[in-house]
Amino acid sequence: MLDFLKKLFSGDEVSSREQANNRLRLVLTHDRIGSSPQLMELLQEEIIEVIARHVDIDGKPEVKFITEGKHTALDINIRLKGR
Amino acid sequence: MGENTSQGQVIVVTSGKGGVGKTTTVANVSTSLARMGHKVVVMDLDIGLKKLDLILGLENRVIYDIIQVIEGECTLKQALVKDKRFPELYMLPAAQTRNKDDIKPEQVQEICKQLRPDFDYIFIDCPAGIEQGFRNAIAAAERAIVITNPEVSAVRDADRIIGMLESANFTDIQLVVNRIRPDMVKRGDMLSIEDLMEHLCINLIGVVPEDKNVVISTNKGEPIVLSEHSLAATAFNNISRRLTGEEVDFLTLEDGTFWDKLKNRLFPSR
Repeated sequence: MLDFLKKLFSGDEVSSREQANNRLRLVLTHDRIGSSPQLMELLQEEIIEVIARHVDIDGKPEVKFITEGKHTALDINIRLKGR
Repeated sequence: MGENTSQGQVIVVTSGKGGVGKTTTVANVSTSLARMGHKVVVMDLDIGLKKLDLILGLENRVIYDIIQVIEGECTLKQALVKDKRFPELYMLPAAQTRNKDDIKPEQVQEICKQLRPDFDYIFIDCPAGIEQGFRNAIAAAERAIVITNPEVSAVRDADRIIGMLESANFTDIQLVVNRIRPDMVKRGDMLSIEDLMEHLCINLIGVVPEDKNVVISTNKGEPIVLSEHSLAATAFNNISRRLTGEEVDFLTLEDGTFWDKLKNRLFPSR
């Protein structure tokens, strides 16, 4: 009953359908290319290592997959420190 | 038999996950095609866990099974069970006391080779899983139908199966979404057809709504396509028509509830 009322009054809750879609996007991408969340962390660390050798990095780079249909790309976002 | 010189096509029905409706789809689509006058044979490759005979209501007519054909204990013709209700429908039963490793892909290919000249459609009911049983089931097929439910685990398994079919050089892979509930989709509590298409990226050949009548028809051993006023029956019939190349519009499930649809069908003037 409490859950029902909560649901009724909270407008910004993500629907379970949208949650399913988000979880599937992630898990299918990993399944298809045989990667894992651990791999993403490793990539992140190694990318920092290489880039940081030459320039100063601001914060932590964002590394994620973007999937469109059957195609997947690696999206790397690195902020650099300015003067 | 034998008059038709063209060769029948072999279609494997698969899903990865169990319990999504493979056997129900095979039983209904094959019954529907046979009723349209096509010569159809269904092959149960779920060795050790057979169900197709039960769903088709043919369990008391089984004498021989596919393993006995392979081991030479009977001929292929002797093992085929004829459906009395539809003279064009035949079933090749699985063996219940053996397992998937007792058949090899080449043996399935050989059986299909013998069946092709005599049938228009040869359906293979694939067991769940991605092991030997799956390899046996896809060996002779040139066309694949993947069944899924609007549910995360079924979609993940379907995606894996589609990947394996593509690696096996299948180019004709089509999707059936079974047991969808339009009311839940509308409330944001179930994946929609569009969501599933986005994730799986293959052509859609059928959408079957959740329908209590399927349980009832399974209890009786009568495929649901035989009942007149069932949405699932219409959906399965439409899949059969699309398989033959006919263009059939998808049921507009999003508009209204099941009862609205039924009312519209019974009283079209409204």
